[in-house]
Amino acid sequence: MSDIFQISVSALQAFQQAINVTSNNVANANTPGYDKESINLQEALPQSNGVATVGSGVAVEGISRAYSQTAANQNNASQASLGQLNALQSYSSQIDNLFGTTIGGLSTAVQGYYSAWQTVANDPTSTAARQALLNQAQSVASSFQNASGQLNALNGDINQQISTDVQQVNSISSAIATLNNQITQSTAQNGGQAPNELLDQRDQQVANLSKIVGVSTTTDSNGALNVFVGGQPLVLQGQTYQLKTVGNQYNASQLEIGTSASTATISSAITSGDLGGLLAARNQVVNPALSQLGQVATTLAQTANTQQAQGLDLHGALGTALFSTGSPLATASSLNSDNVTASATINSNGLGSLTADSYVITAKAGGTLSVSNASDGSSVSFTGAGTAANPLVVNGVSIVLSGTPAAGDQFLIQPTAQAASTIKSVLSDPTKVAAAGAVIATAGTSNTGSGQITSGTVLDGTNPNLLTPATITFTGANTYSINGGANQAYTAGSNIAANGWQVQISGTPAVGDTFSVASNTAGTGDNRNAIIAGDQQTTGVLNSGTISVTGALSGLITGLGSQAQQINTAQAAQTQVANQAQTSLQSTSGVNLDEEAASLLQWQQSYQAAAQALAIGNSLFTTLINSVNGTFT
Amino acid sequence: MRITQGTGQQQFLTAINALDESINQTQGQISANQSFTTASQNPIAAGEVNNYNQTLAQSQQFSTNATGVQANLNTEDSTLSQVQNQLNSLRSLVLEANSGTLTASNRQAIASQAQQIQNSLLTLANTQNGNGEYIFAGYAVQSQPFTLTAAGATYSGDSGVRQVEIAAGQTVANGDSGDTVFNQISTGNGTFTVAANSANTGTGLIGASTVSDPTQYDGGTYTIKFTAPDTYQVLNSANTVVSSGSYQDGTTISFDGLQVALSGAPATGDSFTVAPSTNQSLFSTVQNIVNVLNSGVTTTGGSSTALNNNLAGSINNIDQALAQMSDVRASVGGRLNAITAQQSVATTQQTQLQTSISNLQGLNYAQAITQLDQQNTTLQAALQAYTMTQGLSLFKYIQ
Repeated sequence: MSDIFQISVSALQAFQQAINVTSNNVANANTPGYDKESINLQEALPQSNGVATVGSGVAVEGISRAYSQTAANQNNASQASLGQLNALQSYSSQIDNLFGTTIGGLSTAVQGYYSAWQTVANDPTSTAARQALLNQAQSVASSFQNASGQLNALNGDINQQISTDVQQVNSISSAIATLNNQITQSTAQNGGQAPNELLDQRDQQVANLSKIVGVSTTTDSNGALNVFVGGQPLVLQGQTYQLKTVGNQYNASQLEIGTSASTATISSAITSGDLGGLLAARNQVVNPALSQLGQVATTLAQTANTQQAQGLDLHGALGTALFSTGSPLATASSLNSDNVTASATINSNGLGSLTADSYVITAKAGGTLSVSNASDGSSVSFTGAGTAANPLVVNGVSIVLSGTPAAGDQFLIQPTAQAASTIKSVLSDPTKVAAAGAVIATAGTSNTGSGQITSGTVLDGTNPNLLTPATITFTGANTYSINGGANQAYTAGSNIAANGWQVQISGTPAVGDTFSVASNTAGTGDNRNAIIAGDQQTTGVLNSGTISVTGALSGLITGLGSQAQQINTAQAAQTQVANQAQTSLQSTSGVNLDEEAASLLQWQQSYQAAAQALAIGNSLFTTLINSVNGTFT
Repeated sequence: MRITQGTGQQQFLTAINALDESINQTQGQISANQSFTTASQNPIAAGEVNNYNQTLAQSQQFSTNATGVQANLNTEDSTLSQVQNQLNSLRSLVLEANSGTLTASNRQAIASQAQQIQNSLLTLANTQNGNGEYIFAGYAVQSQPFTLTAAGATYSGDSGVRQVEIAAGQTVANGDSGDTVFNQISTGNGTFTVAANSANTGTGLIGASTVSDPTQYDGGTYTIKFTAPDTYQVLNSANTVVSSGSYQDGTTISFDGLQVALSGAPATGDSFTVAPSTNQSLFSTVQNIVNVLNSGVTTTGGSSTALNNNLAGSINNIDQALAQMSDVRASVGGRLNAITAQQSVATTQQTQLQTSISNLQGLNYAQAITQLDQQNTTLQAALQAYTMTQGLSLFKYIQ
């Protein structure tokens, strides 16, 4: 008779617990990381009365959570990828928005600058036109500085964000280590039954960690979770190996990721999560943009300065530099074993091969050097040995090392990285704009032949004798000598060059005819140099003389735009992937309220039925007692 | 698949965010009136538009350049036309002076008129443009190029010619140097000159001289010498006789591809020198006329013949100068034509570029507004669907 009570009570207890589990599911429907729980019921051990075995009710075997390791791993991996793309997209779209379609007004300023040269060419004696040119040069320089300043500010943001991320990773890994300890203890105490709440919390911490940095995990037999990042341990059982920020070996102001588990930095192994995105934004978006901007700035400044040096200003003196730019960055790695330093300069004729790439020079045993591309490590061809007498020349850049580097020493050469942020307009006196050609050629007044001479062009503004007067004398019908030098054959219209200038004589000069080439000191109305300077807008310079300043700017706009577009597309696609992974995870582990409502009803009815059984048991028992009472009274 | 309430909300939020973003982008495009406002929205077009804008700005600059050149060339042209007027007046004066009926004082009066013309020519040669630049000074535009001297004028400019770019790679000269225009003028008939020996005693007058066969003329100097009043010899610079013949009044003497007409009665021993043309400054030519007219010779006798020969030579030089002015003006006119032609090309090019830019970057309003409308409708529908499904819960029905 007592069976019915025992059975009913076990049922009431089990169903109450089931209702508790369901209520708990409803209560945690919106709790991040909560996995839907369900009660596991089991028949209680039967009792034998010698004839047959009779069931003795229901037993709660345990409460399990709906958890799929595969779905969780998939979700974590997709969240890590999304985190990476979110960070990358955030920076590329910032650049995209800041730069718009004109690199923040830079291309408009460049346009105005070259037009200003044309205006000077139209009216070389006008101080107003020259002042306007200097103003435009100033505006070009500040546009470059603004654009690069914005990029540098982004690098600052990235550093800050990296520090925050590293702190967060460390606090999460501490939490995981603590949870590991609690879970192993609790599991041992509860006879191998893991505490669902702690597991949920730990899984949630791993999910949070995945958004910051992609991790891999292993589970030990005692239930502890080991977490690895970039091949290095982050959490082993109850112990954490903290991440830390360390300065880049070439540039201490750019933070890299280190770990207390190893001496080497692990930045290159971090390719996912917010941290991976930040590193990618710096290495793939911001720094390349700075170098490309610097390449245009270097080209514009160097061509303008070279042209200035080939002309005369209003005072009749050779022009001085219009722009100044910082020299290429050449830094020794902080890991080098000695104090050898490097210095780099862009060759005067190096623009044709100048790229926006950076290079790593590595010293090998035996004193030889190798050069590789800093972004992908591919080998780059070079000449020279890195000594002052024989500089190492790579793509238009000369590099000199201060001594013989030890094997393994590395140097980073960034030819154009700081050009855009350091470009300045250094000419303030409008009369010093070199609009006039440096030399003027004239035919002798007593010439009797029909020979005519061109005004002359400058080939090399640095020739020390450029402005030294020279006389071309015809010593025969087909021979001439320059300043009484050796006779040279004359062909009408062909180039005659000396002292850095070049002229052409045509016609038939008579014997004894002279032509003089001298400084164009009085030629304040000359605009030959200004025309060439203005034409540099479309004159091919870069890439072996095929890409002009305008072309390079358009290329930069398209390049940055396509990169941003590509990242936007990838981010949108990854958002879908992450959503699917989330949905799939939720479909296993999430709480569906309708389902819970149905369960509640189910357990409520079962509970009512069990209670009814108890009531019937009671009534049976009462009947029995009453009948016994009647018998005895 | 089990869909939990949380998943449904998350997906709804993602979708709403995406819709908001696209509406924002369309709005940005409409308010900027551009089909893309950042390079990422259309990277290739953004690069192309930058190229087109630079080309357009350059082309507009070239048009401005061309307008400036036009002004300068027009100034030069009108200056040279005034020079021609002055030279024509001078030519009339010299012809008048060369007629036999004038007295020395008459000639002196003409000389003072010629001097006036000399001064006017100097003013014209020192013309300044609106910027105060001397247009005939070559590159040395800030100092006065011509200064009168006893023999004519000195030129302190240079032979430079400022070029101005009117199209990519196409330049036109913004003027001509004073040296070319006023100094490099051939004497005589442009190939050779004929001059009477100052010691001539006869009345031999130099007439027209021409080159009949340029291939035979070697550019040498010759002397036509009268061995008798009716016999002449032509000697080359080595004193070798290259031709000889008998002379009558008006005979045309031919030798080595040249023809020289002489008239009058040369005396025995008179000679005429044939020499290659040299360059002579216009101012020297005029000064020479002034000096000759002021020399006070009488109208009769040998000295009159010398005067006549001298003035006839001057007329040749004036004609050369007039031809020179015509040539320069023709060249200026050619440049003005080239500019006009280029300007019409530039206008077409600029229109084309603007069309290309507007095709790439311009916004199709109808399309953009339709798109915005569609996006709005989608957003509204999504919001409505959300509120409708949110009301669905089994709990509502459990009482």
